[in-house]
Amino acid sequence: MIHAAGLTQRVTSGADTLAILHELSLDIAAGESVAILGKSGSGKSTLLGLLAGLDTPNEGELALFGEPLGALDEDNRAALRAGRVGFVFQNFQLLPTLTAQENVALPLELAPGGNRRVAARQWLSRVGLGERTAHLPKQLSGGEQQRVALARAFVTDPELVLADEPTGNLDPETGAAVIELLFSLNREAGTTLVLVTHDNALARRCSRCLRLENGRLSAFDPDTREATP
Amino acid sequence: MTPALRLALTSLKRDLRAPDVRALFVALVLAVAAATMIAFFLDRLEGGLERQAGQLLGGDLVLEQPEPFDDSLVERLQDAGLAVSRQVEMSSMLQRDERFQLASLKAVDSSWPLYGSSRVAGGDTTQSLERPPEAGRVWADPRLKSLLGLGIGDTLRVGEAELQVSGFIQREANPSGGFGSFNPRLMLNAADLAATGLVQPGSRIDYSLLGAGAPEALDSLAPLLDRLRENGVQVRDVRNDRPRLGSALNRAESYLGIAGLAAVLLAGVAVAMASRRYVERHLDTAALLRCFGASQRQLTLIFAGQLAGLALVASLLGALAGLVGQALLVWLLADFLPLTLPAPGPAPLFLGVLTALAVLVGFAGPALLRIKRVSALKVLRRELDPLPPSAWLVTAAAATVFGGLLWLYSASFSLAVTLLLGGMLALGVLWVCARLLLSGVLALAGRLSGRSEMSRALRLGGRQLARRRQAGLGQLLAFAITFFAMAMMVLVRGDLLSTWQARLPDNTPNYFAINIQPGEREAFADAIDSDVESQSALYPMVRGRINRINGQPPQETLPPDARGDDALRRTLNLTWRAEVPDGNRVVAGEWFADAAADHSASADNAPGGWLEAVDTGPARTPVPISLQDGLAERLHLTLGDTLTFRIGSESLTARITSLRSLDWDSFTPNFYVIFPPGILNDFAHSYITAFYLPEGNPALVNRLIERFPGVSLLNVDALLGQVRDVLSQVTRAVELILVLVLLAGVSVLYAALTASQPARAHESGLLRVFGAGNRLISRMQGAEFALLGGASGLLGAALAELATALLSGYWLDLPVRFHGWVWLVLPPGGALLIGAIGHALSRGLRRQAPAASLTLVEEV
Repeated sequence: MIHAAGLTQRVTSGADTLAILHELSLDIAAGESVAILGKSGSGKSTLLGLLAGLDTPNEGELALFGEPLGALDEDNRAALRAGRVGFVFQNFQLLPTLTAQENVALPLELAPGGNRRVAARQWLSRVGLGERTAHLPKQLSGGEQQRVALARAFVTDPELVLADEPTGNLDPETGAAVIELLFSLNREAGTTLVLVTHDNALARRCSRCLRLENGRLSAFDPDTREATP
Repeated sequence: MTPALRLALTSLKRDLRAPDVRALFVALVLAVAAATMIAFFLDRLEGGLERQAGQLLGGDLVLEQPEPFDDSLVERLQDAGLAVSRQVEMSSMLQRDERFQLASLKAVDSSWPLYGSSRVAGGDTTQSLERPPEAGRVWADPRLKSLLGLGIGDTLRVGEAELQVSGFIQREANPSGGFGSFNPRLMLNAADLAATGLVQPGSRIDYSLLGAGAPEALDSLAPLLDRLRENGVQVRDVRNDRPRLGSALNRAESYLGIAGLAAVLLAGVAVAMASRRYVERHLDTAALLRCFGASQRQLTLIFAGQLAGLALVASLLGALAGLVGQALLVWLLADFLPLTLPAPGPAPLFLGVLTALAVLVGFAGPALLRIKRVSALKVLRRELDPLPPSAWLVTAAAATVFGGLLWLYSASFSLAVTLLLGGMLALGVLWVCARLLLSGVLALAGRLSGRSEMSRALRLGGRQLARRRQAGLGQLLAFAITFFAMAMMVLVRGDLLSTWQARLPDNTPNYFAINIQPGEREAFADAIDSDVESQSALYPMVRGRINRINGQPPQETLPPDARGDDALRRTLNLTWRAEVPDGNRVVAGEWFADAAADHSASADNAPGGWLEAVDTGPARTPVPISLQDGLAERLHLTLGDTLTFRIGSESLTARITSLRSLDWDSFTPNFYVIFPPGILNDFAHSYITAFYLPEGNPALVNRLIERFPGVSLLNVDALLGQVRDVLSQVTRAVELILVLVLLAGVSVLYAALTASQPARAHESGLLRVFGAGNRLISRMQGAEFALLGGASGLLGAALAELATALLSGYWLDLPVRFHGWVWLVLPPGGALLIGAIGHALSRGLRRQAPAASLTLVEEV
């Protein structure tokens, strides 16, 4: 599903160059659920962006669905994502002028055909918001908004779902409920899940945990909190 | 429909709630409404004027020659689709009992009039008639009542025929002849012409053929008309012979055109500001769509499609508003409109839609490019905004589109390029000025040390502005341009109206007295002196024809297009004068004032010094003359060319030493040719003058007619009234358009303030978190707006003064003036207006809880 080798990403600030990711390698198989743990600023989101093809690495190879991303321009990378990658964000990223149903239908709108409205309504029902289809994001609570975002991530029946701190903006109780929903949807759909978080409890639920530190990835056991390079 | 387009349209529907989309929409509607309203109105006015010209001329096409027209020609015109009427004019003596009077006879056939109607008073009733007098009957000029003691039913001898008076003419359907026919009019049916026996070989008779029909029919006759012209037939058509209301209306048309452009420019500025906010608001959406797999092309399609959809709806609505607006304009002016306007055509509609799209592309296009360039990574890292488009790109795009519109509207490429380059230069200078001004204002506000709440608010407001200096600069420019455009339209309107009023003051001469004999001159002047309120000079008049140009017959030396000129065919009124007449301006060469003494001296010594027989070759020392510039242009004459005049049986050669411009609409005697004093004195001459006689003084008129029976008095009240009506109707049109420009200006203010709303909301939220009270925040924001408004008012005033001077001088041909009040009113007015609107718009924000204000930036 995802193959990365020797990934290096640097940022330049004035005369200083900082390597956020340093010769990092990673393979994720279909159906796996992988958590990437790390502190704030460790480069988790940068890695996620690279894996999704939202950005290109300074060095290294990266392939998504078997396609080397280095050979694709931005439009082709976008085309590769279309319908096959779902996203869940820390700050939900719902469009404020769109209703819940319209937000869910958004990824479907980019492709021709299909009954977008019905699909969106079905997915909203599956996340327990069947009665709130016409509500605008500002009329929903944080947990409800993230549930809408979950419905939107799964509505295209993606092969891969990338989640960036999905509970970061939620209180623990609501966060737990959202995570419960995320994993159950993931199980039912048999989707590959890559989850970026700093929450050990959340990481524990994934089939594999990795920790990002000093630009390098290492295997990590959230129970023992031990990393094995 | 592609998914991208579908998405564009569905999201547009949802997006209509956003203030920036509303501002964008309103600005576009206004731009289109202004453009189409003006285009519709001018289109119809043009059509109406052409039709009116047709009425004054008597047809769309008028052919004149001194002999009857062949029937074959009449058939040719009819075959081309024209309705044709024949008309015969001549001077003849009328007799009733023992009294005689020279009259200007006009015989018309049964098709007359082709346009309009005559008002004829018969006994107790006055009728509007669209037919000629019946056979055996005549209609007479009311002046003949007193001159011949004539009444309805009386019999009049015309040549050898006895004809009965059935009416007095109050208004002739096509009063042809104009000032040439000073004698009272008598209209008769063409069927009676033969019986009068007046048509004899050698009699001076003008034959006219009037034709009415579609422009295409006239176009198809062009080759025939050219041939007729070459054969000496005078050809006039509505398109080259518009009524003399010309210059005032042309200026009004120019004004409306400029006003329309000002509205479009303002709307463009509003669109630019609103679209900037629109793009900023949609960067997240774009990044998200990019995440979901949208290509750059799809993104462009979605957002450009959305805006195009908006523009389409806005332009339809705007065009509808324009259509209603012009109908309102016509309805408002109906009482004043001496003409019925034709129905509006479809062309302005296209112009409107084109304008909306052009404004959108030019003013919103560069901002849209930003959306296309958005990185999908922005969904993870918010700070990753694409760079704003370069100022050069924004300016170049807007300038190109605006230049194109200028070209389209003014139909003059050179004018468009000049205005555009000037505008760009001005913008550059403006940018620098705005920066300096802003720095100055901020420094001043920062230095305020007072402890009063006012100075505290000003200090804080100044600091706020300083923090957002770049955005503030943009707003300052937008407001300055807005104030400039609004002020300029007010200024030009004022100049336009006062110039019109100055041109036709209340005491504009309404009577012309013609044919005053030299012996009567002083007596006549004395007779009117005590009763008239204003009087033009008494001009001597000598009748002469141009029969040689540079020693050659005109037909041989002039290019074909000038050979049939009216001035060559008819007898001209020549005058002499030592000074340049009022309202005339020497535009080339030198006036002969200094030389006048010499000429008159030598003329006294040798009155025939310049006189010569027609065939004795060029004069030794040709007399200097001053020629009207328009005639010089038509006849391709310049300084130094000579003209030989046939005056009576003698010839006189003169050299053009100066060219004059003059205003034909001035209601004073005007002359093509002016000689220095002393040359023409010995030729037979009479005098002409114009004076203003307050209405309701018929006694004086009657006294003048009795005492100076040979003098013709011509009342031009009707014509004067017509010109005044046109001016007042155009004034109203100008005012209505001004309102539209002002509305467009307000739309800019709205768009600009809406665009800066979220940032302000965030600030005021933060300040309140830190403990600032509502009162202080409100004052601070008010102060910020007021500082912005005051500075832009100052800049706008400078710009308006400069631009008005340029426009008046170069385009509208008005005198350049200084307008002190603009400098006094605009800066405080700007401060008040922006302060008030901004304050009102932010009131809602101030009412929100700080938490809501702080999240607003994230959400909206």
